[in-house]
Amino acid sequence: MAHPQGTPFVRYAILLLAAAASLHSIWAQAAPPNIVLVIADDLGFSDIAPYGSEVQTPTLSALADNGIRFTNYHTAASCAPTRGMLLTGVDSHRNGVPNIPETIPPEQAAHANYRGELGHNVVTVASLLHAAGYHTYMAGKWHLGKTPDLLPFRRGFERTVTMADSGADNWEQKPYLAIYEKANWFADGEEFELPKDFYSSRFLIDKTIEFIASNAGDGQPFFAYVPFQAVHIPVQAPQEFIDKYMGVYDGGWDELRQERRARAESLGIVPRNTPMVNMSTTSDWNSFSEEEQRYHAKRMAVYAAMIDAMDHHLGRLVDYLKETGQYDNTVFIFTSDNGSEASGGDDPRSLAMRVALWQQGYVNDYETLGLKGSLNTIGPSFASAAASPLDFYKFYAGEGGMRVPLIIAGESIPARAQPINALTYVTDITPTILDIAGVSPPSGRFGGRPVESIVGRSLLPLIRGEVERIYSATDTIGYELGGNAALFQGDYKIVLNILPVGDNEWHLYNIVTDPGETDDLKDQMPGRFQAMLTHYEQYVIDNNVLPMPANYNPTFQGIVNGVLDRFGVQVLLALLTIVFLVPFYILYRGRRR
Amino acid sequence: MKTVFRILVSLPAILFVVMGLRWVVDPAGAAPGLGMTLMQGVGLSSQIADIGAFFIGMGTMILIGLITQTRAWFQAPALLLALAAVLRVLAWLVHDAALALSMIVVEVVIATLLLLASSRLSQEK
Repeated sequence: MAHPQGTPFVRYAILLLAAAASLHSIWAQAAPPNIVLVIADDLGFSDIAPYGSEVQTPTLSALADNGIRFTNYHTAASCAPTRGMLLTGVDSHRNGVPNIPETIPPEQAAHANYRGELGHNVVTVASLLHAAGYHTYMAGKWHLGKTPDLLPFRRGFERTVTMADSGADNWEQKPYLAIYEKANWFADGEEFELPKDFYSSRFLIDKTIEFIASNAGDGQPFFAYVPFQAVHIPVQAPQEFIDKYMGVYDGGWDELRQERRARAESLGIVPRNTPMVNMSTTSDWNSFSEEEQRYHAKRMAVYAAMIDAMDHHLGRLVDYLKETGQYDNTVFIFTSDNGSEASGGDDPRSLAMRVALWQQGYVNDYETLGLKGSLNTIGPSFASAAASPLDFYKFYAGEGGMRVPLIIAGESIPARAQPINALTYVTDITPTILDIAGVSPPSGRFGGRPVESIVGRSLLPLIRGEVERIYSATDTIGYELGGNAALFQGDYKIVLNILPVGDNEWHLYNIVTDPGETDDLKDQMPGRFQAMLTHYEQYVIDNNVLPMPANYNPTFQGIVNGVLDRFGVQVLLALLTIVFLVPFYILYRGRRR
Repeated sequence: MKTVFRILVSLPAILFVVMGLRWVVDPAGAAPGLGMTLMQGVGLSSQIADIGAFFIGMGTMILIGLITQTRAWFQAPALLLALAAVLRVLAWLVHDAALALSMIVVEVVIATLLLLASSRLSQEK
């Protein structure tokens, strides 16, 4: 006699078994998955098609279609602090990289955690994966230290080709700033000379494929870290990519910012009718002559082309993995290191700018813009469009500086048509990777020495759909970089942006309903505002966040640090010579009297 | 004429001081200028101490000569430079070293200049 509950019981049992088998196949595969971590440089929130861009990024669109887009993901607002947190899961004030080394003031540089170099008190995700049997590769920008012990070859990556500076030319081995004597490239820890036919995005993917191919078939999974130079200054791209975008930006930055917001809304990246400010640094498009508008439109066309080219070459990596049968067991993580970059001004053809470029061996003529020998930027006005519909951009703690795309995709990742809007943070990437790989996080020690604990959280419960958010309404995430500061709690954020673009005052926003940070709630919610300020003060104490010197100006500090770094020996020598000669001169004058 | 001589003599004096101080603050940058690689241990100590002292000493002697207008303060560095030139030639002939002709020329020219200065700028009879 059949059990009265038999049929449904068996059905449930089968369903449970099927679910368990499915979960097993997704998250606990016999073969640990390969992981490809891709990071674009200075890519704004709406710069790729899955986030509302007009730029053609079919590779990233396919990954987004086959995976998950995160719309409330935050990173640090400048390069090195993001990279330090991304690779360790440890707060920037504890891992040695609270700011880029180029702009750390001397008052702070004396502190062990303010060197702008990834400290040996942290362990990278590459070291952890390598210890667990992964091959670990890196091709791209590092910016976490250039001495031999700090290069990625000594930080867990077994094969590397890396550029150690904040940026460099995309066509040749050439520094883009006068503070660098040369573009510092290294391969496997040794100084490296770039090939003659170098273009950054193509070269980095070529090397990544070469590294993966060198060990293919040995049964070990790989972790490939691909930090592109794109789309950092100098904004450069091959002519065939530029041609695709000529004329696309003739309507100017205000029109583009509106169009991108509309597309982001329709894609579910931001809520419908998201309010948006007109940024104070955005120029009036109509105040420019036709010729000037034509020039600005080409600046942005080159930028779009550089994104397009990055996507194209990333596509070659995806194709390679498919052709070699490795794609199905590979998880891709794509993000940016901070929001769009506004440097370069809206008058790049001024005499002063052209002389500065000439001194550095560059031009910015219309005809050759973006090609070899040309240094292009997009300036603050198009940077506001690249961050649409957010406020602020790189360096600032506004959403435009901190909120960037994050896509996690792969055959084993359950695709989601609707993006995830839960608050996520850059320190979550390392624990997520470790979780995907089935590797335990460090428990206080690694390689015989004490290491900082990871503060981020794995996103896997979100990806699995087990939870709606990984940070509860009471959890907080603190942030500080060069005086710009923020604290996230639930749907809310307090934020302080320093001068000249910010106002040096704290504001409170609901960044879920108002990601454009248009409606300051601090007067409407004084209790929440004060409580979040108290949490921020605790974050400062807990993480030894140092105060910025009075009148700190990152640009000026960058120039001073750059001169001392590059010409420090000469300056010291000149001072010593003067000190040595002065007594002789005084004696000489005395005897002549 | 004396003013011209003073200027001509003070230039190598300052140059020698700068070269010597560079060995103190930036030996890695100074070594290639003399065709050397930077050594380690006692070798590095000797490079910094001996070469630094040689150049700073010569520059100091010339500067004292300019102040005191005493012949010997010009003649001593002239002797050192002349010896350096002679030993460079010997190194080439005997030890198969490179013939550093440009350096020899500079040393001979400055030594000659210092000898001329010792007679023109000296107040001794």
